[in-house]
Amino acid sequence: MKKNLLLLTIIFSCSGANAQVYAVKKVAADLSKTPQVNGGYWQGVAEIKIDLLAQMMVKPKPAKVQTETAKVQMVHDGKYIAFRIRWNDKEKSEAGKLGEFSDAVALEFPVLDNQNPPPIFMGFKDNPVHLFHWRAQYQYDEMHGKKSVKDIYPNLNADTYPNEFPDRGALKAVSEESKEIFSHGKAAGNPQSAQKKAVDELLAEGFGTSSVLKETDSVAHSEWKEGEWTVVISRALKRPQGSVLEIGKGSSFGLAVWQGGQDEVASRKSITMQWTAFKVEEK
Amino acid sequence: MAKVKNWQIQREMEYPYQEHRPKRQWSIVFDLNKCIACQTCSVACKTTWTSGKGQEYMFWNNVETKPYGSYPLAWDVRVLEKLGQQAWKAKEAYYGKTIFEAAGDNEVAAHFAPKDEDWMYPNNGEDDCLGNVSHGAHLTLPHDKWFFYLPRTCAHCTYPACLAACPRKAIYKREEDGIVLIDQSRCKGYGECVRACPYKKSMYNTHTRVSEKCVGCYPAVEKGYQPMCVQNCIGKIRVMGFVNPPWKIREDNPIDYLIHKKEIALPYYPQLGLEPNIYYIPPIHADRDYLLQMFGPKVDQAIANYKKMKTDPVAQGLMVLIGSSDRILHSFKVKDGVAFGYDEKGDEIVSVPVTEPMFKRAAFDEKLKATRHNTP
Repeated sequence: MKKNLLLLTIIFSCSGANAQVYAVKKVAADLSKTPQVNGGYWQGVAEIKIDLLAQMMVKPKPAKVQTETAKVQMVHDGKYIAFRIRWNDKEKSEAGKLGEFSDAVALEFPVLDNQNPPPIFMGFKDNPVHLFHWRAQYQYDEMHGKKSVKDIYPNLNADTYPNEFPDRGALKAVSEESKEIFSHGKAAGNPQSAQKKAVDELLAEGFGTSSVLKETDSVAHSEWKEGEWTVVISRALKRPQGSVLEIGKGSSFGLAVWQGGQDEVASRKSITMQWTAFKVEEK
Repeated sequence: MAKVKNWQIQREMEYPYQEHRPKRQWSIVFDLNKCIACQTCSVACKTTWTSGKGQEYMFWNNVETKPYGSYPLAWDVRVLEKLGQQAWKAKEAYYGKTIFEAAGDNEVAAHFAPKDEDWMYPNNGEDDCLGNVSHGAHLTLPHDKWFFYLPRTCAHCTYPACLAACPRKAIYKREEDGIVLIDQSRCKGYGECVRACPYKKSMYNTHTRVSEKCVGCYPAVEKGYQPMCVQNCIGKIRVMGFVNPPWKIREDNPIDYLIHKKEIALPYYPQLGLEPNIYYIPPIHADRDYLLQMFGPKVDQAIANYKKMKTDPVAQGLMVLIGSSDRILHSFKVKDGVAFGYDEKGDEIVSVPVTEPMFKRAAFDEKLKATRHNTP
């Protein structure tokens, strides 16, 4: 009982936003295109230092905080808003092999009420959050194509795969689609099994409830250099199915960072414990 | 954590979800005295379910040689290491910790996380016995240099660690037969199930980027047929059916009969706390301390009970029914030297003589003027 009370106290004490409201200035750029990590429009934009803590609400939890600080800059172009996020990570992890995980970052926005966001921990029943989830693995997909098993394990040898045989006249080769009917995730239409865009969009109403949105228009680009990730996620201000941001008005964001090289994935992550408030300025 | 009843360790234990037993529970009993590691089960499973991309390394059913064989590498030793030393006194409940109780504050289950190299040697240790068989070695019982084969599928546990650990609740246990499945449309490949399952029967697919596991051949089970690994077992060492908890046993149910009535089949590593639903008739000549660790303190009695079966016509009848039909045997009876197997409606599926009729032929065939030999 005591533990539950403590949990509720944490949830509601962390649902509010920081008192400070950060201004998001308008820049002369088209942020709907693949954003530039080091574009000139980032120069002079104030950088917010955001403290992160190890996720502590649900098991499994990380044993310690892997990413203590992230730095965030924000700009908009009247239609899109871009977030430039930097954090230290000594190794670049793009996943692929068994037991390997990808570096990742996610932005979170309230959906129903920008002024009174739900608890920051992945939203609440009937009070969803809108997530923009970038992964180094997804970025690789977008830039180079999804890695095949042979790319991941070059020395792997398989005698044959079902439905993969040449057209022999009487025995017709099957369509590309039919080849995948024995790949369970693909056959089930799991978006995780398809080639990804650099950033996924999801809706969630609490831990473990996230579902991937189809036909998204957010874009992302990234760079890992000298032990630091710089990721830019650019999203439409108005996303009818998700969060809607308006010029002249405010909202807030939450942040989560995963260090794949440290086996961080899913709830093993570093997160912000409070919403960070911002206002989309007219100029 | 909820308190749930685990009859295999004879006590309540902690589990993340409330106790909820399915209408009936999928189960396999294996007779380890008969397994010869021909791997026909592994191949039957492989060709049915895991011949696609990303599944190259997968064996939802595998057979490993104990003590050294393991897939993934040293899974049993490493899980027991994480659990830590625990005690289980004979004729008592298990009061040591389960993997859920030993998990600590951050984890759902005490576990080790296998890396890719751990999965790369499915027949590591195959046919290796405990030590060198040096000159002058001779037969002892139990064998001092021993090994046995351990066929393994997913145990479709009553308290699955994979299900408990999935952050997306993408793993579910079917109400109709207790089969545990990973929702292939919802899984995001976090690998938490791969980490948490102590038996290491959840596997990540690098092609689809989601995790997979033994599906208990549910399409066959739904039609009243046993899984492919059971149907294809040439040694007739295994039988699939539905197991009841001890307070609901039905003695004419083959699975209940072997586990509860005759008490010859035991779950493996019950101390981990998952109430696994694959059961083993322990190998009678292997090292007893090792078997004690694997099957718990009831192993001595189970072996003694097994040895008595040769004088029990009903038990013998059931043993010959095993492997005599591809259909699921819901009940059986033995009458006048014949064993009968029945389906769910009570209709007869199969009947076999408990003892095969013996035909004696003269050593010399007068008609062909030829001497008969036993050799082919």
